[in-house]
Parts: sequence; C-alpha cells; structure tokens
Amino acid sequence: MREQVKSVLARVRSKPPNILKALLALQERLGHVPTEAVSEIASALGVTTAQVAGVLSYYPDVRLTAPGRHLIRVCMGESCYANGCGRLLRELQDRLRVDVGETAAGGKFTLDTMSCAGNCAVSPTVMIDRDLYGRLLPSQLDTLLERYK
Amino acid sequence: MRTVTRLYLSNDTSARAAGAGVLADAWSEHPEVQLIRISSRGAFYLEPMVERDSPAGRVAWFNVTAQDLPLILSGTDGTPVRSIPFLAQQTRVTFANFGETEPLALDEYQARGGLSGLETALRIGPDAIIEELQVSQLRGRGGAAFPVWNKWKVAQQARADQKYVVANADEGDAGTYCDRMILEGDPFRLLEGMLICARAIGAGRGYVYCRQEYPGAAKTLRAAIQKADEAELLELDGEPFPIEVVEGAGSYVCGEETALLESLEGKRGVVRARPPYPAQSGLYGSPTIVSNVLTFATIPNILSRGGAWHAALGTERSRGTMALQLGGRVKHPGLVEVPFGLSLHQILEQFGGGMAPGSRFKAVQVGGPLGSLFPASQMDIPVCYDVFAKAGAVLGHGGIVVYDHETDMVDLARHFMAFTADESCGKCTPCRIGSVRGREILERIQAGSGTIEDLALLHDLGDTMKVASLCALGGRAPYPVLTAIEHFPAEFRAKLRT
Repeated sequence: MREQVKSVLARVRSKPPNILKALLALQERLGHVPTEAVSEIASALGVTTAQVAGVLSYYPDVRLTAPGRHLIRVCMGESCYANGCGRLLRELQDRLRVDVGETAAGGKFTLDTMSCAGNCAVSPTVMIDRDLYGRLLPSQLDTLLERYK
Repeated sequence: MRTVTRLYLSNDTSARAAGAGVLADAWSEHPEVQLIRISSRGAFYLEPMVERDSPAGRVAWFNVTAQDLPLILSGTDGTPVRSIPFLAQQTRVTFANFGETEPLALDEYQARGGLSGLETALRIGPDAIIEELQVSQLRGRGGAAFPVWNKWKVAQQARADQKYVVANADEGDAGTYCDRMILEGDPFRLLEGMLICARAIGAGRGYVYCRQEYPGAAKTLRAAIQKADEAELLELDGEPFPIEVVEGAGSYVCGEETALLESLEGKRGVVRARPPYPAQSGLYGSPTIVSNVLTFATIPNILSRGGAWHAALGTERSRGTMALQLGGRVKHPGLVEVPFGLSLHQILEQFGGGMAPGSRFKAVQVGGPLGSLFPASQMDIPVCYDVFAKAGAVLGHGGIVVYDHETDMVDLARHFMAFTADESCGKCTPCRIGSVRGREILERIQAGSGTIEDLALLHDLGDTMKVASLCALGGRAPYPVLTAIEHFPAEFRAKLRT
C-alpha cells in the first residue's frame, strides 16, 4: 500500500499544495484514505499532519475505512422527505441489518445518507455507487438490490 | 430497404433515474431506431419522454416503457411538444435549448445563437460589458441576489497579477437541480458566461467547483471543456483561459462562496469572515468572481440581446426570468422558467398542476433547506426578491418543495435543525452550538418531553443565530423551524409535556 500512496502523491503534487485533491486521489485508488498515511501525505505535500488530519476529518465523503463493494446512499433532501425517504431508509436498514454508515455482513453494501442528489423532480431517490434511482417505492428495493453482485 | 426513425430521448440524470437509461439499453440494438440523447425539457413528471420529428415540430410520448416502441414507430397517440401546457406557458430563455439539442454538440449550440454573447463581449470590451450588465439589473441567482455588475466592477478595478472566475456548481440546496441540468444539458452556456466574465474583469483562469453528488455533470462538463478547447474558444486576447473542474467532497457549506474558495485551495471548507469580499481578495488572495452556474448561464443572452431586453422582464427589483424547480408532493414536478412576479399559487396550480394524487396541501417551502415555510393562506405572495425579503423569506436558488397533509411539522423542524447541525462548518459559535441545541430541543419536543419554555427557547436561539452567525447557514437555519411553529402551532403544542 505504501507504494500506491507514494505513486498517487507524486501525481498530485502542486504549488501551492492541495490537500483535498491529494486525499480524493488516494481515495479514488484505495477506496478510502488510511489514517496511517497521514504523516506520509503531510511530508509529501510539505504541510503539517494537523492540516492533513483537519481536512481528512472535515469532509463527509472522504472515508477513513473502505466501504463495501457498493455504496447505497438514501437522499434525505426536502423533496425526498416529502415523498417518504424516511420509510425507504428504515426498510434498507431492516433489510441490510445495518445502521447509517455501516457495512452489511459479507461486505457487499455500505448504507449511508446524502443531503440532496439533485433528483428532486423524481424523488424519492437512492444512489447506488454512481447510479441514481428515482420514484422508488419500498416494494421495489429487493429487485433493485438483486442487480448488484 | 428498412426505414430508420430518429427518436429523441433525454440523457439527463433525473430522466435516467426515471427510466430513460432502461429504454436506451432496450432499444440500443434496434435496427429501426436511431436514438439521439438530448437534454431534458425539465417536464420530469413526463419522463421518460420520447420524441420524434414531424412536419409540425416534435411529437412526444410520455412515461414511456420499452413496450411502447411499436406505438411510437407507427406515430400514433403522440402529443405535439408545443401543445404541452407545462412548457408552452413558460418563458424559456436560459433554458431555451433544453430538450432540443445534444449537450455536447457545439455546432448545435452555435446554430441556436450560442457564442454570440461572447462575440459581443469581445467586441465591446470590459467597461461596456459591465455597463450592459448594469442596464440588465441582473442579480446573482445563487441565493444572495447581489447585483452582478457591481461585483464585476470591483474585481475589474482591483489591481492584481492574477484574477479568477469561479463557477459555483455546489448546488447543495435540497429541492434544486437547475444547475445540474445546465451542467449536463447545456454546458457551453456556462463556459460562455465564464469567458464573458473573464473578459470583463481580466481573469486568467477559471474553475468550476462541482459537487461530488453530480458525477454525470462533472463528466459532461469536462467533455465540453475539451471540445471548447479544441475549438480554440478557451482563450482571450491571445492568452489561454483554462477552465478546470474541481470536485467537492460532500460538504453543504462549501456552496457558501468563501468556504468554497477554501475548499478549492484544498483546505477545510470553513467560512471566511467578510470583508474582504472575494471580488477583492478571493482564491489564493486574488480578486475572484464566484457566481452560481445559473447566473453565468444567464449572461450570454444579456450580451447578445442587450441589457434592456433583460430588464424588460420581471418586476421592479427582480429583473429577468427565474428558474424555479418544483418538487415534493406536487403533481407536476419539474423546471419552470418564468419572469419574476407570478404568485406562488399561480406557479403551483398553473405549472405544478396542483397536488399529487391522494395528497392535500399543507405547506410549501421556498429556497432550499434554509427557506421559510408558507401555509395555504400566504400563497398569493409574488415570487420576487423584494417581496420575499420583506416577508423575511428568501428565494434562494429557486427550489420549491410542497409538503402534504401527512407531513409531521415537528419532525420536519427537527429534520431542518439536524441538517444544519450536520453541515455547520464550526467556525462561528451561534451556528456550531446553536444548531446542536436547536436539534436537541426539537428532539425533546418530538419525544413528548418538551415544555412551553422550550418553544420560547427556540425563538431566543433563533434570534441569536439570525443576527450573530457568520454566513447564511446559521443565519437562515432558524427560519424554516420558526415558520413551522408560527403556522402550525397546534402541532407543536400537542406534543408538549403538560
């Protein structure tokens, strides 16, 4: 993993250094940003470990642990709220037997929420990896989840 | 010989989420179909919508499934697009290309008047561009509604080695999606607006800060930038004007302009105290224009048709058109571009088509998660900046979400405050601590252990957050909560401990 970290960091070096870009590039490669890599990132970018740790802890989408093979995000925006996203979330929690932020047994799905997917006109919305599903009914969840291996 | 029919199908993310992607897959190998993937008209309640040419213009089929293909190919039961009331009653200016063109076809963009605003800008020069914007009375469409010409003038007059143009594509207000539509559906319009701005203020570099939740938008925009570059459009006065797409990482407050700049620099997305304003000292301390995507996309038409044309639309202090985005329990959710000044009632009835089947109206929220709630008795309010400001409300980025009779107002208020508590950047105390305390009070009321003093406490807390927060997140967070209490007091009182 150290080699991977090194090669990614070599690619995103810039002046002035951009910590968030470096973290997102690492996440793109590794699926998450390992906390063990903080000091290495700091020295590669020429910033302090506190600066790196600060950025790392700030952004909801920079992950400290690897998610499951598929990331399910239930949109909690107001249009989705009005259209019953709360029920969708509860159904998913029950089906996957996880709470928000957790990965289901077997490592297939990680369940999370998002504040708005910009899909308000066909809400409620669930985003799986990079794909959006709209006008979702709880009864459609089983068929939807089956599509993911 | 077999005839091939050209069918138009939207490639917009929401159209795909409604089933357009499934149709495209099902028909991809069909020998009789040539599928053209266009932008969406924004009539999302009709998506997936399939169109074909006819002597009298496009004809459409609504809520199409793969089995409808024979019907469409035989040409039966289609509806002429121009007779769809939802679209026919709009004033499509910024969104005129939607549903008509392929998003990445630069020649189509140009054939429909694209780039003529930039041509004008290059010809008349910086001072005249800013004058035209002053005549137009365009105000920023991202939420703050600041006069655009004024901001540009400040940046133009600032002396600096480098200046930047930054498009805010961090469209985080729940209930809004018009920026996403522009990024995915008419990306050259945004680039043209940014180039005009760069020409006016003398900027050498552009950025689009795009939220991570919009992967499709970032991809289309990057492809558009490459096409524009190949067409040698990304240069001004013989100097390159590179535009880079930078993706965010899920922070709502990064849609606030100073937090956005911090994030663009790779730091924690924490709000900066203003002044200095970004137009004076922005990205890396250089003069920077940060404007929302819709604002930039509105500018090409102003340059090509003239500021007076724009100023002739709308109301006294809100000129032009506004892209309103309908969502929630309305029958016809979708994008509505109309001149400012129509009442909320008109918008929801004429365009929204009333309530979704089985739903009764309870309240409507305008302006995203920080916007005020309006009950049925206030539906006559005209949609424009000044009247909204007088009512203590905001238009924000034009999101309109309708709640129905099943909505629990106490839970909704808790939902709002929990959102702010989650998204607060933490820099100022009223927002950081206030939002958490507010959420706790509302959780208490929801659990049945709140008291009448808790409601008074919420008002006090709200007043403090309104006046003492550094940015609009903390400053606006109390509004949806307090308007919920104001208009639905019985629901809150019913849950109090006696």
